[in-house]
Amino acid sequence: MATADKEKKLKEGWEGISRFFRANSLWMLMYCTGCCAIELPQAMTSRYDMERLGMGPMATPRQADVLLVTGYLSVKTLRRVIYAYEQMSTPKYIVAFGPCTINGGIYHDAATVIKSLDQYLPIDVYIAGCMPKPEAVMNGFQDLIDMIKDKTADGWKRYRDNYDWYKQNQIESLGELRIKDEYHE
Amino acid sequence: MSKINMQLKELTENVGKSYSVLQVDYPTPNQAALDFQPGDVHAVLAYLKGQGFRQMSLLSCVDWIEDGQFQLVYLLFNWEAGLRLQVRTRIDRANPVFTTVTGIYPGAKYYERDVHEFFGVEFNGNPDSSKPLFLENWDDMPPMRKDFDPQAYSDRKYKAREYKTDFNTKAGEGQ
Repeated sequence: MATADKEKKLKEGWEGISRFFRANSLWMLMYCTGCCAIELPQAMTSRYDMERLGMGPMATPRQADVLLVTGYLSVKTLRRVIYAYEQMSTPKYIVAFGPCTINGGIYHDAATVIKSLDQYLPIDVYIAGCMPKPEAVMNGFQDLIDMIKDKTADGWKRYRDNYDWYKQNQIESLGELRIKDEYHE
Repeated sequence: MSKINMQLKELTENVGKSYSVLQVDYPTPNQAALDFQPGDVHAVLAYLKGQGFRQMSLLSCVDWIEDGQFQLVYLLFNWEAGLRLQVRTRIDRANPVFTTVTGIYPGAKYYERDVHEFFGVEFNGNPDSSKPLFLENWDDMPPMRKDFDPQAYSDRKYKAREYKTDFNTKAGEGQ
């Protein structure tokens, strides 16, 4: 019993250490689909300086930790966002900007724009505002960091556990998930 | 309105001598809008291309649902003189078929695909015109037609968030 306790404690300790480092070194994949992306330059550059939170931009999904979905998603972009999200290695987090990702926002009646992103991908943090100010963006990132530290940023686990439900929703709205692009075939 | 460009006025008069212009309109001093019968459009475009309108900037379409017609608008641009011209024609909405202009302006290939996708106009002679351009897996009528209801399509296709309502207004309240 004593060794099992010891192992459990050791494992928890390791997870705590890795969570500490994850929370303080986040690489973002910015999928700038909508207008909220215009608030990222201010948040990244000298005025608000996102790097002081340990966050930086990353070029490829496979090396990134956080997927930023900045605004509305048409079915065409949603298909590519799903590709990008599934390429990312766990643990991975999604930060969704603006009302468009919550309920469709001003695009609630558009024929090609989805309404609620959490039907298709798990969201960890929503940032409210149309568009959110850089202060709100920074606050949202701080919330994400706190959530990673106290183990509540578990979107990637929800995606893994409810994979069939997410896939079913994706196929219902998108028809087919595979991208058919005449310029690359 | 300020003075209409003399060169443009002269040009529209010359066009009127050879082809039957149904209507002439000058939206801006350096822009004219000419209406033609569908059969005249290709001859007029070929003539105008020879007159310096080398660029076809856009092929647009307007849905006149009450008249039962689609209006095709070819926007031409003359770089030397800085003149713009709209060549317009109306085709039957119930049977929207037109002949391609890719022989005159090769760049029209993509504009015709665009108009086919959003309005359902067929372009004979352009084998690519029925390929999808912007929409992926579209399964309804062309979306820019006036009788298409985007709200109904969106409600049917995309799941909405469910809300708990704390307070419901009575009829006429808060209007």
